[in-house]
Amino acid sequence: MKTVKIVIIGFGNVGRAFARVVALKKKIIGSKYGISLSIVGVADSKGMALRSDGFTEYELLKLCEVPRSSVNLFSPYAYDYVDLRYMYDQVQPDIHVELTPANYLTGEPGLSNIVFALSRKVHVVTANKAPIVLKYRELSGIAKKNSLQLRFRSTVMGGTPLIDTIMSLRSEEIEKIEGILNATTNLILTEMHDKLIDFDEALKRAQIMGLAEADPSLDIDGVDAAAKIVILSHVIDRSIALNDIKRESLSKVKLRDVVEAIKEGFTIKYIALFDVSRKEAFVRIVRIPRTDVFAQIGGTLNAVRIKTDVSELFFVGKGGGGTETAHSVLDDVIAIALGIEGDKR
Amino acid sequence: MVVKLGGSILRSSKEYIHAAKNIKELFIERNLRPIVVVSASKGITDLLQNVARGRKEAFKEIEDRYMGIALELGSVKLVKRIEEELSRLKKIAEGIEVADLALTDFILSYGEKISKIIMVQALELNGIRSFELNATDIIVTNNTHGDAVIDYPTTAVALEKVYNVIRDYNYVPVIEGFIGKSFEEEVTTIGRGGSDYTATTIAALLKIRNVYLVSDVDGIMTTDPDIVPTAKLIKHMSYAEALEASMYGAKGINPKAFDPLMKIYGSSILIGSWKKIGTTISKEIPKEYAGPKVVMFKDAGDYAYIAVVGEGVSSAKFVRDILDIAVRLGIDVKGIQAHVHRPSAILFVDKGKGREILKMFHKALFEEGSN
Repeated sequence: MKTVKIVIIGFGNVGRAFARVVALKKKIIGSKYGISLSIVGVADSKGMALRSDGFTEYELLKLCEVPRSSVNLFSPYAYDYVDLRYMYDQVQPDIHVELTPANYLTGEPGLSNIVFALSRKVHVVTANKAPIVLKYRELSGIAKKNSLQLRFRSTVMGGTPLIDTIMSLRSEEIEKIEGILNATTNLILTEMHDKLIDFDEALKRAQIMGLAEADPSLDIDGVDAAAKIVILSHVIDRSIALNDIKRESLSKVKLRDVVEAIKEGFTIKYIALFDVSRKEAFVRIVRIPRTDVFAQIGGTLNAVRIKTDVSELFFVGKGGGGTETAHSVLDDVIAIALGIEGDKR
Repeated sequence: MVVKLGGSILRSSKEYIHAAKNIKELFIERNLRPIVVVSASKGITDLLQNVARGRKEAFKEIEDRYMGIALELGSVKLVKRIEEELSRLKKIAEGIEVADLALTDFILSYGEKISKIIMVQALELNGIRSFELNATDIIVTNNTHGDAVIDYPTTAVALEKVYNVIRDYNYVPVIEGFIGKSFEEEVTTIGRGGSDYTATTIAALLKIRNVYLVSDVDGIMTTDPDIVPTAKLIKHMSYAEALEASMYGAKGINPKAFDPLMKIYGSSILIGSWKKIGTTISKEIPKEYAGPKVVMFKDAGDYAYIAVVGEGVSSAKFVRDILDIAVRLGIDVKGIQAHVHRPSAILFVDKGKGREILKMFHKALFEEGSN
């Protein structure tokens, strides 16, 4: 059995879900793929916990129970500071899992973390979109130079194999990508249509239920959906920049717009679109006929339609959610682990 | 086995510790590995209902209760966790006027969730390796908020995934009762007293032989002891008897709890307190245990009814015995109802005389051995 050492950087919802999934599926993965996934380090904003021979399943489950930003309470493995260099020296990881929050202004701390991992010849899986959005070319260049993998399947429609599928379309020309790419805004619109409540109330409700952030601007101003379009543009090698995407804020939608749309047989959706041939992209509020397939995508579901020169593909699935994202991250980890030849150190 | 801890035995830090000690002594030290299902601490669900109705002051009481317990247990980690959960709940309490059904369920879920976190800590303090299972990851329901029904096939898949991992280890999983998640990914609740239903569902789906429902009473009583102090413990009952008794108001078990046991796997239910597990409810009972088990009364419309529950009591012979008792005691019977397929016989009597007649019937049936 090949042992693959993993460090998790960022330990919020997705990090905990990932640790839990690894704890619960470690044996199954071991028997199915002949690899033993060993989580050897976890870090959050306040500290880190290290165990060079890998946390046991029980310890991983207990790690998921520590309060937020309190990995430093996980004795006897805890440290009151975060030092990636020290962590790497102690535990010698094979795969770095980057789960820090996205910062689209600087890409930090994820960007520096990923650069560090690649510089230490460690493969990277990231669910943090910002470094990929801002510095994909540079990061993938470093990875390629060092014969490392940089995987980010969970960043767009994490509950589906969208990115893997797009990457596999080698002979087809992708002409257009459009879709509902943000779960929070789709939920808000669904609630506005179903309950006939105004935007503020729907947003407040989503925040109360923990489905929208306290600062929801990344979602409602279309930054998150635009970031996903940027990532898809990188994947198909037709990169566009985040700032080149025209964005319309969903907060412009009033209840009366929804009521009018319903009366006239339409549904309002928040659509992200990338017209590849024109190299034009936007995230905007669109009235679509109630019979259109996007009109059927409600709640926290996401959907993407990909038009190629040959066919049209349609993906529907969970956009995010801790467990779904964690599984996507795990799929990337397994894909890398399968390619690691024995002990590379 | 599955062990469900009722809110009546989780009122203070001492009671959480006491529960943990009992789990250790009664199960762990006998090499038995329980799955623990917890209710909210007594009274918390009512307070959360008030929060959902917009009574913001109820939050303070919840905070005082749960933070008090956390502080008394003396773990920094626990205190921080409870603070986190309570701060989320506080934001909700401050942000709503009146919650709809979906939001009410979300609010109610905090009662069991926090109780689970405390219980895990109490077990760990007693040297038992324990961890949290999230009901929202496992118990899948329809979207009938407030009284959701568990979807057994989907729940079975989620449960088996976890169980396949944990059954090889000596870790005690603790899951919150009463809570589920709908296919639409919203938190649901499965009805008041729903933790019984959670416990029996887990037992039935995993084909676990025994489900312990532990509370502050020693078992199911022959009648309401507040009305008849001479009420006795019932040792054995069948599902049909217990279900019928609960439908006529007998305390002890939520009627929905029988559904998975009847449809999937017939675990035995053992009901009682830490001192005494007085009642065992099985799918079927030997013929010698047949006969009246419970007598209850209720005012209904223009009459009161006396319900006598037990296998065989709807037979002509037993109905005649009941009528003989009524005649002997001078009770004016207004009507009688008995179906051969149900383990009950109902006598309709004058409204206002129900309590008095209940006492007389209880004496005749259970204290004089007259059946």
